[in-house]
Amino acid sequence: MLSFIFIVFCLIIASLGVFLLSKVQKLKEKEKQVEALKASLEEMDEQAKLIMRTDMELNKTQEELDKKISGLDILQKLSRDISTTLEEKQIFKKISNEYLEDLGFERSLAFLWSDLKKEFHPYLNLGYDDSETEKIKTAVNLDKGYYLDLIRSGRSASSAFIPDDFLTKDKIYQLFQVRSFIICPILAQEGDQGFIFVGTQNLETCITEGEQELITILANQIGQTLDNARLFEKTWRSQQELEIKVEERTRQLTQALDEVGKISKRKSDFISSVSHELRTPLTSIKGYAAILLAGKLGSVPDEIRNRLEKINRHSDELVHMVNDLLDISRIESGKVNMNMEGLDLKYIADKVADLLSEQLKTKNITFSSNIPEDCQKILADRSQIERVFINLVGNALKFTPEKGKISINAQRSGRVIQIDVIDTGFGIPEDAQDKIFEEFFRVENAINQEVKGTGLGLALVKHIVEAHQGRIWVKSKLSEGSTFSFTLYAA
Amino acid sequence: MNISLGFSENKDHIQATNEAVGQAIVGLGKIRADLAIIFTTIEFAHPLVLKIANNLLGGIPILGCSSLGVITNKGIFKHGFVILLISLGQQTFLNLALVKEVSKKTCIAAGRELGEKLLYGCKDVRRNLSLIFSDGLISDGTSLINGVQENLGRSFPLIGASASDNFAFAKTFQYFNKELLTDSCCGLLFGGKINFGFGIKHGWKALGKIRYVTRAEGNIIKEINGEPAVRLYEDYFAKDALELAKELRRISIFYPIGIYLQGEKEYLLRNIISIKDDGSLITQGDIPQDSPIRLMIGTKDSCLAAAVTSCEEAKRNLGAQRTKLVMVFDSASRFTLLGRHCSRELEIIKAVFGENTPLIGIYTYGEQAPLKSINYLGRAYFHNQSINVLALGGQ
Repeated sequence: MLSFIFIVFCLIIASLGVFLLSKVQKLKEKEKQVEALKASLEEMDEQAKLIMRTDMELNKTQEELDKKISGLDILQKLSRDISTTLEEKQIFKKISNEYLEDLGFERSLAFLWSDLKKEFHPYLNLGYDDSETEKIKTAVNLDKGYYLDLIRSGRSASSAFIPDDFLTKDKIYQLFQVRSFIICPILAQEGDQGFIFVGTQNLETCITEGEQELITILANQIGQTLDNARLFEKTWRSQQELEIKVEERTRQLTQALDEVGKISKRKSDFISSVSHELRTPLTSIKGYAAILLAGKLGSVPDEIRNRLEKINRHSDELVHMVNDLLDISRIESGKVNMNMEGLDLKYIADKVADLLSEQLKTKNITFSSNIPEDCQKILADRSQIERVFINLVGNALKFTPEKGKISINAQRSGRVIQIDVIDTGFGIPEDAQDKIFEEFFRVENAINQEVKGTGLGLALVKHIVEAHQGRIWVKSKLSEGSTFSFTLYAA
Repeated sequence: MNISLGFSENKDHIQATNEAVGQAIVGLGKIRADLAIIFTTIEFAHPLVLKIANNLLGGIPILGCSSLGVITNKGIFKHGFVILLISLGQQTFLNLALVKEVSKKTCIAAGRELGEKLLYGCKDVRRNLSLIFSDGLISDGTSLINGVQENLGRSFPLIGASASDNFAFAKTFQYFNKELLTDSCCGLLFGGKINFGFGIKHGWKALGKIRYVTRAEGNIIKEINGEPAVRLYEDYFAKDALELAKELRRISIFYPIGIYLQGEKEYLLRNIISIKDDGSLITQGDIPQDSPIRLMIGTKDSCLAAAVTSCEEAKRNLGAQRTKLVMVFDSASRFTLLGRHCSRELEIIKAVFGENTPLIGIYTYGEQAPLKSINYLGRAYFHNQSINVLALGGQ
C-alpha cells in the first residue's frame, strides 16, 4: 500500500515537475516575446525619432521654400512698382505695410546719408510713430560710423549673422524694438547712399539666408531705382533749362518777327503811297510830252523831239517800275486776289515766246520748250503767272549772248510741277545768287551796266510764285548759264 | 436670436470702429442688441476704440479680445476690427463677468472669482453655456478653467479663447464694456433657451513610445521617465538644449507633447514655451504628474482634416437647428503651420456651415472646451493647437 502511495506520489511529483518545467518554458518564451516586443518597441521609437528628424528637416525646407516663393513673388511686384517710379521720395512710398508683412516683417526704416548735412535722414518709416523714428534717427547718427562702414563694405547684417565690426545684435534689438532684423546697404552709383532696415517682433521668426538674400535684392533694386531717378531728375532739369531757353529765344524771335512785319508793312505802305503819288505827276509828264510830241502846241524841232522822246521813254520805264513796286506791295500785303484756274502751261510758254519772238530773232537765240503731257495743266492766276514767264524769259533774253539758247522745261512730282527756265547766258556769281530775289538788287558787273533794269522784276516774280504757294530758286554758273526753277500745283 | 456682423480694415482705428459698428447696427435694423462681441487685431486695441463702440452701441454689454488676425466670412485679416451684435430671444438671458490682475492672484483663485461672478443672479435658472476670453500670456490656463469649473460645474460647457498678439508674446488685450484690459479674464454665461454645438480638434498624431511624466508642477514638466524633461526632445531631434532653444517655437508647434487621457480619443496637446536651465520644460497649460505622454506630429493635411471633423461635430450637435452664427477660436500655431494655406481652413468652415452663415473668429494662444462634444461633455480642458468651433443655432 505504502509503495503504491509512494509511486502515486512520485507520479504526482513527476507530473508537477513536468508541468512546472513546461510553465517555466512558457514563461521563458513569454519573456523572450516581451523582450522581442520591447526591442521592436525600441526599434519603432528609434524609427519614430528618424521620422521626426526627417519631418523637421522637410518642414524647414518646405518653410524656406514657401518663404522664397512668396518672397520672390512679392519682390517681383515690389520691384515692378519701384522701378516705374522716377521720384526719389516716391520710391520709398511704394514699400507699403502690406508688402512688408507679406515678406514677414512689420517694421521698416530706410535711411539715406546726406553728404551735405553729414547725417542719416529717414526716407521710409513703417511700424514706427514719428517720435520713435526721431529717436532711432538720433541713435543711428550717433553711431553713424558703424552704419557708414557697413554701407562701404556692401555687407548685410541680420539677427542670423552680424559682422564683427558692426553693432551688437542686442543693441539693434533694443534700438529698433524688434526680435529679428535684417539691415542691407542701399548702394547707389551716384548721390547719397544708405541702408534699409526690416524687423519683426514676432518671436517665431527665424531669419534665414534666403530672407537676407531677398532683402539684399530689394535694397539693390532701390539703389538702382535711385540712380535712375537721379539721372532722370538731372535730364529733366537740363531739359527744363533748355525749354526755358528755347521759349525765351522763341519769344525774342517772335518779337523780332513782329517788328519785321511792322517794318515791312510800313515799307509797303510807304511804297504804295509814294508810288501812287509818283504815278499822278508821271501821267502828267507823259501827257504833256505826248502833247508836245504830237505838235499840238506847234512844231517841235528834232533836237527837242529827241529829248521829248527820251522823256517819254524814261517816263514809261518809271511807270513800269512804279507799277512793279505797287504790285509787289499789293501782293505782300495780300491785297491781290489770285484768281486761280487750270491753265495750259505749253500755251503760256508759247505765248511768251511769241511775245518775245522779235528780240529772240534779233539776238538769234534758239527758244525751245519741253513740257511733258502730265505737266500741261497748272493751277495759277493767268495774268500773274504770265508776268512770271515774261520776266524770267525776258531776263534770260537780256543776259544771253547772241546765238544762245533758252528753254522752258517742266517735270512733275506728285501734285507739284517744277518749271525750269534755262539759259546759256553769262550766269550769276555765286555770292549774288541768294540776293537776286531781293528788291532793287542788281549784280554789279559790266553786263548790268549795259542792260537796263529796275531790280524789281525777280522780286515781283518771287512774290507771285509764293502767292501761288510755290517756291523759286536759281542755279547758275558763270559763263555757262542759269536755271530759274519754280513750283506750281498741277490743276 | 438675431445676429448682425460688422467689419472694417480701415487703417484709422476710429474710422474702422465707426464703419464696423455702423454696419452691425444697420444689419440688426430696429432690433435692439443685447450683447456685442468685438475681436480686433492688436493695433486696434485702444481705449478710444471701446469708448466709441460703447457710445455707438448705447451702453450694451461688450466682450472681446485682441488677436493676431481676425476671421470673417470675407477672409482672414491681419488688420481688422470685427463686431458681432446678438439680440437674444425672450427666453434667453446672459450675465457678464470680469476678473482683473490675474497674475496677482493664483490662477485657480482668479478662475473661482470669475465663476462666482458669472453665477451672480443666475443660480436659480437653467444655465447652458459659458464663453470666456482670457489673457493669452497667463501661464496656468488650466488652473483658471479649473477655478471657473469649481463654481459652474465640472461638466458645464465652457468654451473659450486666450487672446493673442502679433506673436510678440508681449501684451494681449481683453475687452469688457468700456475697459481695455490686460492680465484679465472676462466671460459670459448664457442661460435659458440657447441652442449650440461645438467641436474641438487638433489633428496631431502620436508617434514613438509612451513615456511618463515622473515629476511635474503645474505647467512645468521636470522629469520624464526619471530624466530631465528636455531629454525627450534632445533624444528625438538629436540636438542639445541650446540648439533646441533656438528652434523651440517651431519644434513646439510641429511636435508638441500629447497627454493621453483615459477614455478620451484625442490626446491633449501642450506647447513648449521654454526650456529651463535644469532641463525642465515649461508648457502652455498644465501636465499632471504621472501622465502618460507621447510626442506628437502634425501635418497640414491632418490639421485641415481636424478642421473638417471639428466643424462637422459642431454642426451635428445642433441637430435640426439652423446655424445662425459660427464662432471660431483657432490656434495661432495652426496659423503658423498652415502658413499661406490658412485660408483653406476658412474654406472648410464655410463649406460645412454654408457660404453665407455669419462667421466670426480669432487666432488664439490657447483654446478652452470639453474634449467630447456629443452626449456627455465631460470637463473642459485647456487646449493648444486646436480649432475650437462654436455654432449657435435657432429656428
